[in-house]
This record gives sequence, C-alpha cells and structure tokens, in this order.
Amino acid sequence: MDLVQQQIWGWNIATYLFFGGLGGATLALGILAELRFNLNKWFGILVSLLGLAILSFGLIWLVIDLINPLRFLLAFWIAGLGHSWIARGMVVIMGSYIFGILYAIAAYYGSTTFKKWMGYIAMFCGFGVTTYTGLLLNANVAIPFWHTPALPLLFTVSALSTGCALLMLILAAMKSHEAEHYFHFVEGFDILLISLELLIIFAYLDFARLGNAAVMKSAHLLLNNPLFTIGFLVLGLITPLILEAFASVKHSAKGLAGVASVLVLIGGFLLRYLITWAGVFQYPHGIAS
Amino acid sequence: MARYGMVMNVHACLGCRACMAACSQWNQTPFWAEDFKGKWRTRVTEIEEGKFPEVKRYFFPTICMHCENPPCASVCPTEATYINKDGIVLIDYDLCLGCGYCIEACPYDARYEYELEDLKKDEFYFGEDARHHQAHVDKCTFCVDRLEEGLEPSCAATCVGHARIFGDLDDPNSEVAKLVNTGKAKPLGPYMGTKPKVYYIK
Ligand code: SF4
Ligand code: SF4
Repeated sequence: MDLVQQQIWGWNIATYLFFGGLGGATLALGILAELRFNLNKWFGILVSLLGLAILSFGLIWLVIDLINPLRFLLAFWIAGLGHSWIARGMVVIMGSYIFGILYAIAAYYGSTTFKKWMGYIAMFCGFGVTTYTGLLLNANVAIPFWHTPALPLLFTVSALSTGCALLMLILAAMKSHEAEHYFHFVEGFDILLISLELLIIFAYLDFARLGNAAVMKSAHLLLNNPLFTIGFLVLGLITPLILEAFASVKHSAKGLAGVASVLVLIGGFLLRYLITWAGVFQYPHGIAS
Repeated sequence: MARYGMVMNVHACLGCRACMAACSQWNQTPFWAEDFKGKWRTRVTEIEEGKFPEVKRYFFPTICMHCENPPCASVCPTEATYINKDGIVLIDYDLCLGCGYCIEACPYDARYEYELEDLKKDEFYFGEDARHHQAHVDKCTFCVDRLEEGLEPSCAATCVGHARIFGDLDDPNSEVAKLVNTGKAKPLGPYMGTKPKVYYIK
C-alpha cells in the first residue's frame, strides 16, 4: 500500500473553493436580508452582486489551474452532468449568475413577485455552490480523507460562516435599525455555524484516528501543521467563537465582531487550503511513485 | 465487441523497461520530461521488500487498469473520458478541459498532464508525425490504434519476459481469460469497487 500526498491541486484550487463558497454564501445572505429582514433594495442588489463578483474572482483561479487556461470554454460543455461535480457545479454557478442578476433587476424595478421567485432560486443556487465545493473533493475515491460525507458538510458550514463574517463587516458599517437587527441575526447564526463546524471537525478527526491508513496520515499531516492547529483551529475557529459570543452579550461591541469576522475569513481560507493539501492517495500497488 | 484486459506476471518481469521505451515512442509520451517518474503511460518500478539479509527485490509494471467502473470517467465534466465498445477507457483530447479532476480521482496513479511544453517537445522530436496537438490529460489507451491494425499493445509486443499478457477477457480460450478465470491473476485494490481489467500474478 502506498500513501502519497496529492500534488495536483494546491493554492489555485483552494482559492477557488474558498471564494466560490464565500461568493455563494454572500449572494444567498444578501438576498435573504432584503427579502426577509427588510433591508432596502440597494442592500439586496449590491450584496448579491458582490457575491457574484466574489464567485467570479474564485472562478479565475479554477481557470488558471487548467493545463491550458485558454481552453476554459470547454467547461460549458457539461456532458458529464449526470455524474461529474465540476459539470454540476457549472450549472449551479450559472444558476447563481442568471437568477442573481434577474433578482437584482427585479429588485431595481420593484417587481415584488418576480423578485421573490428569482431571489429564492438564486439563494438556493448560492447555497448549492457552498455545498458543491465540498462535493467536488468528496468525489475522489482515491483520497479517502476527502471521500467522506463529512467534507461537503464541513465546507457548507464553513462557507456559510465566512459569508456571515463578510456580511457582519458590511453591516457593522451601516447605521439603520434594520441593519442592526440583521447584524444580530447574522452574528447569532455565525455562532451556531462555528459551533457546528467545531463539532464536525471533532467528528472528522475522530474518524481519522480510528483508521484507514491514508485517512490517518491526512489527519497526522494536519495535526502536525501549526497552520491547522493554531492558524485554523485556535485563531480561525475558537477565538472568533469566543469573541462573537462576547460581542453578542455586550450589545455595542461591533468592533469585536469585526475582528472575529476577519479571523473567520482567514480561517475559512486556511481550511480550504489545508484540507486540499492534506489529501493522501492510497494506491494499492505497493510501490511509492 | 471485446473486453480487453491484461495480465501482468510480476515473476516474469526482468525490469528491462523495454515496455516503457516502446510505449513512449509509439504514443509519443513525455520521455523528455525532467520528472522521470511522472509522465509515463506505463511504469516499471523496482521494489525492495524486507530487511537485510532477507531482502526481496522485484519489478512491478503498472498501467491504466481500464476499470469497468472508472472513477476517472465519473468525475469527468465533459465526458472527454469514456469507455469504448471494447471496454477500453479513453480520452477524447478535443473535449478534455484539462481540469485534472480525473488525475485526482484515479486510484492507480495512471494519469498525467500533457502540458504545453510537452506539445512543443513532441513537435520537436516527431515533427510532422507528432500525435499530440493540444494540452490534455494523458494515459494508456491499450494502443487502440494498434489493435485496429490487428497488433498487440506496444508494451505487450515488446515485453522480453512475456510478463505482459494481453487479450480478450470474454474469450474463454484466451490466455488472459484462463489466468483470470482460474484465479491465478488478481486485480489490484478490488475493494475500491473500480473493477479493474488489468490483473496481476504476484
Ligand atoms: S486505472 Fe485510473 S485512469 Fe485507468 S480506468 Fe481506472 S480510474 Fe481510470
Ligand atoms: S482533465 Fe480532461 S479527462 Fe480529466 S476530468 Fe478534466 S476534462 Fe475529463
């Protein structure tokens, strides 16, 4: 049995996974704010467009990672839709663009019913993007650490959490009563998400402790990497959880929540990179290449 | 319609690597690459097992296993990777996006990137006969072009020790079918559910 750390996907793909998830979550949370939390139409329009811009920025990194980036148009040839998560991802990403933009147009012209429909579908697509980034890695049977349903779950929760962090940063700079209200909702939601994330990470590492050699090696790589233990776990997860919990009790502590948000964003990026980095092939040859 | 497969008799492999040379010439794969280990459709790896003085040394040939349930094809977004009528897993270079998803998905390390600089080298060495015209992911094809002409894959045809036995697994009289059906030759990592069509006598 050979355990070989994967080298094919690195920073580029991790960056794509991070900004893809962040963009999808921002799109969804921005529309939610306008549809359900009475924030004005410009908030809905601008934040959903910001989400799409972030998603586009992420996609650039996917294209850069192609063997020949000039052939990226082939990504639209989604013949493998029935089985491939890149093809399916293209569909949810396209859905995010189409329905996100239709939502923004409808919001601008004030057409309520159409806006709602488009908004909800765009939100669904935005959430879809967050989950898809995990399913993308999950489909690799050759890398047992990725090939577990915990991964899409972890990436979904983490992406939503980074979306909340970004929204908190935006909302903290706003003065209106509605913004205040939504800020507290997002803050509470993020506390829940980070707690869930800790739980999933714990279950994930416990699963790794119990075996399959490749999974154990992946966990070993992570636990011996300070970027994971200190960078992600302590600074990117536990610290913001404490800060946000503290800020939510003390009602005026937006600065604290702001710091927590920045940490969550950095932590989210580290998580994508480290999980990608720690992928270990388990080749059955008995030869190490 | 056939169901092509190969049996690798590890005991018979001398480690001469004539197969690697023959394959890389026929298929114009990057024998020029600096990373000597990476870019081959077939590899022969020297393995040492045990501790001195009980050391066992042997050579282990590997290629694409032409899985019947290939993870590489199931992740491919454009269906560039497909299974042809004879059960051979192939890549349509014109459709290959070059995303590398299949390299990550293959549990047998059978794929590599044929990059832009490899195309240049291919043209440099083979001129008008160059067979690779765009960047793509590459892997063993069982020399599908040779099969059409009634020839064996070039690795099997070259093999000095008859370590590579090629044939139709559906033909009960073929040597491969006999070795597989008697249980002498076994697949690698069958627990992964990939159903490889390359078998090993170890
Ligand atoms: S060995 Fe790898 S490349 Fe070949 S068919 Fe199986 S999964 Fe695909
Ligand atoms: S690199 Fe090419 S063959 Fe491999 S999954 Fe991507 S499109 Fe398919």
